[in-house]
Amino acid sequence: MRPEVPPLIEKARLLRRDVFSMIHQCGDGHPGAALSITDLLTALYFHVMRVDPQNPDWPERDRFILSKGHGCPSYYAALARRGFFPVDWLPTLRKLGSPLQGHPVMKKTPGVDMTTGSLGHGIPIGAGMAAAGRLAKLDYYVYVITGDGELNEGILWEAVQSAAHMKLGRLIAFVDNNGWQSGGVIKDVSGLTNLAAPFAAFGWHTQEIDGHDFSQILDAIEKAKAEFERPSVIIAHTVKGKGIPFTENDNAWHKRVPNKEELAAALKYLGGS
Amino acid sequence: MDHITAMDKIASTREAFIAGLLDVAPDDPKICLVFADSLKAARATPFTEKYPDRWFDVGICEQNAVAFSAGLASTGLKPFFNTYAGFITMRACEQVRSFVAYPHLNVKLVGLNGGIYGGEREGVTHMVFEEFGILRSIAGMDIVVPADAGQVRKATRALAQREGPGYMRLGSGREPVIFDDAMPFDFGKARVLREYGTDAAIFAVGPILKRAILAAETLAKEGIKTTLVEVHTLKPLDQDTIAEVLRKTRAAVTLEDHNIHGGLGSAVAEVIAEREPATLIRLGLRDVFAESGDAELLFDHFGMGAPHVCKAVKQLVARKRKS
Repeated sequence: MRPEVPPLIEKARLLRRDVFSMIHQCGDGHPGAALSITDLLTALYFHVMRVDPQNPDWPERDRFILSKGHGCPSYYAALARRGFFPVDWLPTLRKLGSPLQGHPVMKKTPGVDMTTGSLGHGIPIGAGMAAAGRLAKLDYYVYVITGDGELNEGILWEAVQSAAHMKLGRLIAFVDNNGWQSGGVIKDVSGLTNLAAPFAAFGWHTQEIDGHDFSQILDAIEKAKAEFERPSVIIAHTVKGKGIPFTENDNAWHKRVPNKEELAAALKYLGGS
Repeated sequence: MDHITAMDKIASTREAFIAGLLDVAPDDPKICLVFADSLKAARATPFTEKYPDRWFDVGICEQNAVAFSAGLASTGLKPFFNTYAGFITMRACEQVRSFVAYPHLNVKLVGLNGGIYGGEREGVTHMVFEEFGILRSIAGMDIVVPADAGQVRKATRALAQREGPGYMRLGSGREPVIFDDAMPFDFGKARVLREYGTDAAIFAVGPILKRAILAAETLAKEGIKTTLVEVHTLKPLDQDTIAEVLRKTRAAVTLEDHNIHGGLGSAVAEVIAEREPATLIRLGLRDVFAESGDAELLFDHFGMGAPHVCKAVKQLVARKRKS
């Protein structure tokens, strides 16, 4: 295990507590989709990305786009714990007047680099950010997390094609490959398999990792960053609802709100009161 | 001096857009161009040759082009995305709404082949006569429809100065020259071009304005005195000027190269309903699809000729006299 990993494991545990608490308090949200990306977000915001929470619009910062915007409770928890805004904003999720919208909104939430929600848009918009960085001769990276079900969207493949053609080597996308989409198992609903192959066919650098193993996540990002001619995709094999035994791999938790007892059980498991 | 020419010349709105960009690009390094394999159609080589780094072509995928432009704009660039108007405003409608307008990003959409004027040779798939209605319903979206090439050049410069999302409709590149070079373009202002009298108002938008001018002149010769208003900025709409004219005339005809639903006619109807009651006849496509053919013949065929304007005005004047 890499030495950076133990504190990241602790941080991810804290974020998962935030996620489950937020969704309980708010009474709405997508716990399964948020929990499968918690480790990726933790690695990005607490080890990899060049950001300054005191200066969220810093032009030289690395960018991040949560293409699967419905996973935002994890994203908000990461931004809050990283210091972009107070942790006590988290319980306001989805409430009138809150800076934390039901899906991410760039001009309402400090640290959110792009508005998302409607699926398929992270890679197209990220390509624009990466192209702009090259034009400005800035060396920032653009990270995107897209869902696996989201790969159904056509616009995503339009951008996979053009980003490769433009040689946007500083664009790094993760596919949160938890195997589920809203209606069920991906292979039943939309038939997608072998997710890396179409990216490779379009000329992307591809890797496949365990999306909950921090050593693998960090290694993969380092390899992707060393690719300057090709955009990179990291197919991260993940577990929907990861981290809480009764939500793992149960698609009922795609959009379900934990009740008081479930919240208490989750917090107990995650190590808190 | 009303700056209206003999209207017997043709000039390209497409070339005028690129000329307008070249006017502002030297002083504004944030300006760039985005294409969806539309560089040729946009007549953009004078820009791309001068600024080889400041343009991007994503291929034939308009949704991607709009989303890509949003990404560029999020870093502070001012992308102008230029392709056929219908493909921007219909195919990429959601990207325009959710990723450009909602975050209020500085993306300018420049639509070629707007209206019948644009798609005369191609047929209905390559025309668009719905986009005013589509875009008017998106919050914070500027919409300008200059009447001729000279106005396009000035409108391009005006759009480049504004923050936030904007749309400009261009045509095929064979639009009539309506104004002389001294005619200014005042973003957001409706302008009274002729004030023969207050029998009725004629409101028009875009190159079809030529027909409204001819109609107003013809009517004047017949003793029917209209006030002719060009509404080149559909959003934000200059409600005050429109309401003021309506207050004096209490009768209005609108003329637009667009479906009568959602565009200028609807916008004027809203001002009538909310501010100054008046009778109204909307001229445009009457909720039908156009077809291939010469643009001027199509306008006559679909009821958008100068004689149609004259007839509508006379109907309103007759109604006024009865009441």
